[in-house]
Amino acid sequence: MKELYRDEAVVLRTYRLRESDRIVVLLTKEHGKVRAVAHGVRKTNSKFGGRLEPMSHVLVQLRRGRELDTVTQVESVDRLGPMLSSLDRTSQGMAAIEAVEQLALDREPTPQLFRSTVGVLRTIAERPSSMNVPAFYWKLLAAEGLSPMLDACVRCEESGDGVEIVAFDLDEGGVLCRNCRSGVSLSPAALSLLRAVLGGRLNEALAAPESPATHEVGLLATRAMEHHLERRLKTIALFERH
Amino acid sequence: MAGVYTPPVQTLIDELGRLPGVGPKSAQRIAFHLLKIPAADVERLASAIHEAKERVRFCERCFNVAEATLCPICSDERRDGTILCVVEESRDIVALERTGEFRGRYHVLLGCMNPLEGIGPEHLKIRELVDRLKGEPVEEIVICTNPNTEGEVTAMYLARLLTPLGLRVTRLASGLPVGGDLEYADELTLGRAFEGRRAVES
Ligand SMILES: [Zn+2]
Ligand SMILES: [Zn+2]
Repeated sequence: MKELYRDEAVVLRTYRLRESDRIVVLLTKEHGKVRAVAHGVRKTNSKFGGRLEPMSHVLVQLRRGRELDTVTQVESVDRLGPMLSSLDRTSQGMAAIEAVEQLALDREPTPQLFRSTVGVLRTIAERPSSMNVPAFYWKLLAAEGLSPMLDACVRCEESGDGVEIVAFDLDEGGVLCRNCRSGVSLSPAALSLLRAVLGGRLNEALAAPESPATHEVGLLATRAMEHHLERRLKTIALFERH
Repeated sequence: MAGVYTPPVQTLIDELGRLPGVGPKSAQRIAFHLLKIPAADVERLASAIHEAKERVRFCERCFNVAEATLCPICSDERRDGTILCVVEESRDIVALERTGEFRGRYHVLLGCMNPLEGIGPEHLKIRELVDRLKGEPVEEIVICTNPNTEGEVTAMYLARLLTPLGLRVTRLASGLPVGGDLEYADELTLGRAFEGRRAVES
């Protein structure tokens, strides 16, 4: 009898396996990232039903295996229906979990990452603001110890009213003044959105209507996350093209 | 693992391992099974593969499997050309045809969108679908992609693309499997079955 354990989890990804099984990649609250087999999940009469789709927030019982665990029971915590109710919500939710899958570590608990993931999915379900994913990415990067310098020029360290911030450089990890500028240009509106996201005024940032500045912050967030992960994010790229 | 077997055996294992759903272990098992059975059986399998590959191709209009330029459904004049059912794969047509409920025509996407794998609309027969609409009298599109996340993304993308063209875009209702127990249905399925409820005829 192998060890059974229960945990709360978010489904990050699924892979087809054989005729009717799937491998699910879970971010669990207490056991980190876990790969598990769900037997028969693709049959229409599966006891797991639609509870193991990407973005599902569930309570699972798993049997520990050498490489792959096995899902033995699943219960829903949050309803997945709202996430699949519009293309904006689904694409945002997928963009969020794609980055989480890259950041999460196998079998190593990251309770804060788990909490933020559940949080962002709930926020998206409630209101698909175009700032949801950018803000989430910046918060994740900050949690990884990669908060960008936003209050002063990252090179000359000048700040104050006379200093005009005009650029953001991912290699430098912050914003730059007109004299030192490198990287990509940054508008004043985008700078203030970034400061809202990382300066404890998240709700203000999420309430910002879609604008060139939200796009700028979104693009920058994606590039920053890709820079950190050293790989392209597929979901974002796909929806940027269409 | 490379080089464990003599080259012909290893090549066979490698080729089998490239098939969908066949992992290295299964590839090995199938390879040794093939080596064990009579030569005539292997011959039959090989020629079935050859013949299918030679004779079967995709319908030029709907991408269903076909033996001619058009599949039997596209060349059947009695089918209703005003209603088009969009499916992921040819095998979905087989399943839908078995119901005997649908008299329109089909369009096979040859897959579904999978954002996490980077599979977008350009990898599917979506442009071909839009092109068909210009020349055919289609009034309604029924989206019959699978009821999972990828199928839903594909359906929502198609709805966003096709609705502005003035078409009626519908989605196959999700419901409860006949013969199953209500209490075992998951919340998503049950919720959708509720949305799609209909009057009971008496
Ligand atoms: Zn400077
Ligand atoms: Zn056809």
